Amino acid sequence: MALHRGKGLATIEYPTGMNQNGDPSQAWIKVKPDGRVDVFSGTSDIGNGSKTVQSQIVAETLGVPYDWITYDNSNTDSSPMCTGTFASRATFVAGNAVLKAARQVRERILAIASRELEIDPEDLEVADGTVSVKGTPAKSMGVDEVAGAATFVHGELLTGDGAHLNPGAAIVDPETGEVDKPPHAAISYAACAAEVEVDDETGDVRVLKLTQAYDIGRAMNPTLVEGQIEGGAVMGLGFGVLETCYPYYPSAEHRGDGMSTYHVPTMAELPEINNVLIENPSEGGPYGAKGIGEMANNAQPAAIANAIYDAVGVWVTEFPITPERVLAALDARSEPRREGRMVAFDEELSINSFSSTRTWGA
Amino acid sequence: MKVVGARLPRYDGVGHVTGRTTYVDDVRLPGMLHAAALRSPHHHARITHLDTSAAEAMAGVHAVITHADVPLLVYGHLSGGGIPGDEPLLAKDHARYRGQPIALVAADTVDIARAACAAIDVGYEELPALFDVRLAFDDDAPVVNDAFGNWYDQYEGNLDVRQIRKGDIEAAFDAADLIVSGVYRTQSQEQVPLETQVCVAVPEPDGRLTIHTCTQAMYFSLGVVCSHLQLPMSQVKMVGGTVGGGFGGKVDTASDTLTALAAQKTERPVKWRWTREEEMLASGNRGPWHMEIIDAVSRDGWILGRKMLTIHDAGAYGRFSVYGVTKHSFHHTGAYTIPNLHFDGYVVFTNRIPTTAMRGYGITGLSTAIEVHAERVARELGMDPYEFRLKNANRVNDTSPNRIPYEDPSTVEVLQSLASATGSELSDDLRAMTRDQRSADMLPDHLAAQIGSGGGH
Amino acid sequence: MELTVNSVSCTVQSPPLTSLLNVLREELDITSPKAGCESGGCGACTVLVDGQPRRSCLTALCTVDGAAVVTVEGLGTPEDLSRVQQAFIHHYAAQCGFCSDGMVVAATAYVNAGGSDDTDAIREALAGHFCRCTGYVKILEAVAAAARGDELDIDSTASSANNTYVTIAGAES
Repeated sequence: MALHRGKGLATIEYPTGMNQNGDPSQAWIKVKPDGRVDVFSGTSDIGNGSKTVQSQIVAETLGVPYDWITYDNSNTDSSPMCTGTFASRATFVAGNAVLKAARQVRERILAIASRELEIDPEDLEVADGTVSVKGTPAKSMGVDEVAGAATFVHGELLTGDGAHLNPGAAIVDPETGEVDKPPHAAISYAACAAEVEVDDETGDVRVLKLTQAYDIGRAMNPTLVEGQIEGGAVMGLGFGVLETCYPYYPSAEHRGDGMSTYHVPTMAELPEINNVLIENPSEGGPYGAKGIGEMANNAQPAAIANAIYDAVGVWVTEFPITPERVLAALDARSEPRREGRMVAFDEELSINSFSSTRTWGA
Repeated sequence: MKVVGARLPRYDGVGHVTGRTTYVDDVRLPGMLHAAALRSPHHHARITHLDTSAAEAMAGVHAVITHADVPLLVYGHLSGGGIPGDEPLLAKDHARYRGQPIALVAADTVDIARAACAAIDVGYEELPALFDVRLAFDDDAPVVNDAFGNWYDQYEGNLDVRQIRKGDIEAAFDAADLIVSGVYRTQSQEQVPLETQVCVAVPEPDGRLTIHTCTQAMYFSLGVVCSHLQLPMSQVKMVGGTVGGGFGGKVDTASDTLTALAAQKTERPVKWRWTREEEMLASGNRGPWHMEIIDAVSRDGWILGRKMLTIHDAGAYGRFSVYGVTKHSFHHTGAYTIPNLHFDGYVVFTNRIPTTAMRGYGITGLSTAIEVHAERVARELGMDPYEFRLKNANRVNDTSPNRIPYEDPSTVEVLQSLASATGSELSDDLRAMTRDQRSADMLPDHLAAQIGSGGGH
Repeated sequence: MELTVNSVSCTVQSPPLTSLLNVLREELDITSPKAGCESGGCGACTVLVDGQPRRSCLTALCTVDGAAVVTVEGLGTPEDLSRVQQAFIHHYAAQCGFCSDGMVVAATAYVNAGGSDDTDAIREALAGHFCRCTGYVKILEAVAAAARGDELDIDSTASSANNTYVTIAGAES
C-alpha cells in the first residue's frame, strides 16, 4: 500500500486540413465608404477563435487597424462556401481564403490611391489605415479617403474574393495505399511528458503535471494557441484516465447519461500544465500558420500510460486507465512472453491469423 | 507583422462574458413550436408497425414526422466522395441502435411533444445485437448494416480493407533482432459540448427555409439538408457560425434536417433542442479502436518494420468512419520513419450509436497505441525513451506510409524542447541533432533505399 | 409571484414549480442562463439569488418569490464591464462562451465573498462548473486576477507564465 510516482513521454504528429485534401474554403471582402472592412466567410466559430484569427489576417494584409474589421460568418446567403470548422482547417485553409481576398482588396486600394496621389502603385504602401509613398511618408492619404474616392469619385467598389483548395490526393494504388500528391495541407508535431502518482491499493491515478512542446507553425494569436493547447491537454487527460461512453465495453448497458455520470475533467483534476510553443512556419499556411487544434488531445493518454508503467511497472493498454484496470494489471502483473527474438506483451494477438475472409482468431 | 501575432482579445469576447452572444437556443420567434423525438428503446429490432394517429390527435400536437415524410431517406455523410449512404434519417424497417430516431413530434410545448412521442404506437421484434467488433466477422454474427454487412467492403479496387504496403516487410522481420507485439484498445468518448444539439427552423413567406444551426460546417450541413429535402441550395438559408462547442460532434447535422421537415409540415417555426441525456446517449461519439502492432527492431534501436491491424468500431452506420480509418492508415507510423510496412484497417459495424468525428479524428487512439508501444520497445531495448524516439524521428525527405516526403518535420525539435523543459538529460549527439535530411555517412542501411535518388520510394 | 431580475421588478406567471431557468429564459426572455444539462450538473445556468450562486435549473420559482435575481447580463454591460468580466476577456477565459454565463456569475460570487487569488480556493469554489474548451488554466488566472483587483486591459490578452516560445533555427521570419 503506497503511492508511487512516475514519468512518461509521448511524441505525435498530426495533419492540417482534411485527409486527402480537396476541402475548399472561400471568402469575400468589401470596403465601406469610410474604409471600414466587411469580411464574409462561411467558417463557424466553435470557440476555436476563427472569427478573431481570420479578422487578424485581413487587418494585417490590408494594413488597417484590427477594429476596422467586421467579420460576418452568420449565414450561407452572404458567405461563400467553406467546408467547415474541423480537421484543423479553419486557420490554415479558410485563413488562406481570407488572405487571398484581402490581397485583392489591397491591390484595389493601391490602384485608387495611385490615381488620387498620381504615384505608381508599386511605390505605395499601406499601414495603420494610411496609404503613403514609400520613402516619402508625408505624402499620404487615409484608407478611409481612398474608399470615399472609390465610391464617390471613381464609381468603384473596393472588394476582393479568395478561394483556397489544396487539390485532392487520390489513392492510386489501393493495394499499397500510394497517393498521387500530398494528402495533407501541413503536418504539426508535438511531444508531451506526464508525471503521475499511482495508488497501488485503490488503483487511483492522479496526473500531477503535463509538460508539452508543440510545433505550431506560427502563432497567429499566441493567447488563442495557448487556449487550444491547454484545453486539449485536459481533454487528453480525460481520454487517458476518466472518460468512456461504455464503462464495461463491450456491454452497451452501462452508459453515463449526464454530467455527473460521464466523467469530463473538472478543475479538481487539473494538473500543472507547462508548454513550449515552437514556431516552425509552414510553407503554405497564412503567415506560416499550421492547424493545431485537433492534435492537442492526442499525446497525453500515452504519456500518462507510460508514466504509470514508470510508477508501478504495469502496462495498461485499454483506455481509459480506470482504477479497476490499474488494479487488474497489478494483480496480473506478469512478464511478457519471450520466444527467441519475439516479445509478446499481450497474449490475444490475432493479426497473424486474421483476415476478413476468415473468422476472427481461427 | 503587427496584427498577426498580437495577443488580441476574442472578436466575440465581450458578448460571451456579458450574456449577449446569441446561440441557437436563444433564438425566439412568435408562434414557435417545440419538438421531441421518439427513439428506439432497443439496440437492434425489426419495426413491425408504426401508428402515429393517437399522437397526431392530441391537443397541441401540430405534426408527427416519420420516414414517410422524408423525400430522400438515406443520404451518406461521404456521399459527395462517392461512398454510398447507409443511414436513414428516421428508422423505417429496422432500428440498428438504441436511441435511433424513429419519429419527431412538433407541438406547442416540449412536454406535449414528449407525451405525444409516448403515444406513438410502435411494434418491435427484438433481434440479437452485436457489440463486440471481434465477433463481427463470425459466420453466425447478427448482420448490422444493410448496405455493407458487418464491415465496409467498398474501398478502391473492391477491397474490403484499407491497406498500406511499403518496402519489404518480410525482409524487415527476417533482419530484426527483436520483435515486439502489443494490443491496444481505446474507448468511445463523447464530445460533451456544453451546448447540446439544437436547431430552429423557420418557413419563410417566399417558400424558403431559414435554419438556425449549431453545425460546425454550415455548407456541409446545407448540402445534407438539401439532399434529404431534395431542394436546391437556393431554397435553404443556414444561419449560424456561433457554436457553443463542437469538438467534432456538430459536423453530424444531427438536428437540422428533421427540424426543417417539421417546419415545412407545420408552416410554423420549430425548435428542437436535445436534452443532455440525448446528447450523451444518442449523439455520435468518438469510436472505439482495436489496434494490434508488431514492430521489427534492430539491436541498436532502429524500427525496421511494422505490421499493424486496426479494427474500428463504427457503430451502426458509416458516417465518416471510412475517412477516419483512411486517415489512421496514413499516419500509423506516427512521428517516426519506418520503411517497411504492412497495415490492414477495417471499418466494422456494431449495434452501437454511430460514431463520428471528434478532435483528433482517426488519430487520437492511434497516437495512444503507437506511443505506448514505442515506450515498450525502448524499455525492451534498454534504451532511453528520448534517444529511441529521436533516432527514429521523421527527418526531411523521409517518406510517409503513402510515400510522400516530409518537408518540415519537427519530431527532433519538439523532443529536444521537451527534454529541456523537463530537465531531461540528452547526450551531445542528440542535442546537436537537427531535422535535416540524414547525411549519407549516418544513413542506416534500411533507410538508404527510400532516401536515395528515387526520392519518394 | 414577484422577482427582481437585474434590478427590474417583474411579476411572473409561470406555475410555482417551474424552474427559475425556464422562468428566466422562456417567460422573461433573459437568455444568458444556459440549459446545459437541466439537472444541476454543468453550472451553465448559474445565477445569483440574493447574492448567492444558484443553479437556476434546480431552483423552483416558488422558492425564490420576492428574491433579487442577477444574471450575467446584470453584472455589467459591454460599455461598463465588471472586473470579473474584464478579467475573463483579458485572460482569455471564454472560448465558445457557453459555460461563461454561469462561470462569470459563480466567479463574481466568489470574488464578492472576499475570495483570494489562491488557486486551490478558486478550484474549490468553481469545481462544479464544466468547461470543455479552455482546460480551466485561463479561467483560474482570470478569477485570481479579479480577486487581486488587477488593472486589466481588455484590448489585449495576457501572456501566462506557463507558456514559453522558441523559433526553430533557420525559420525566423
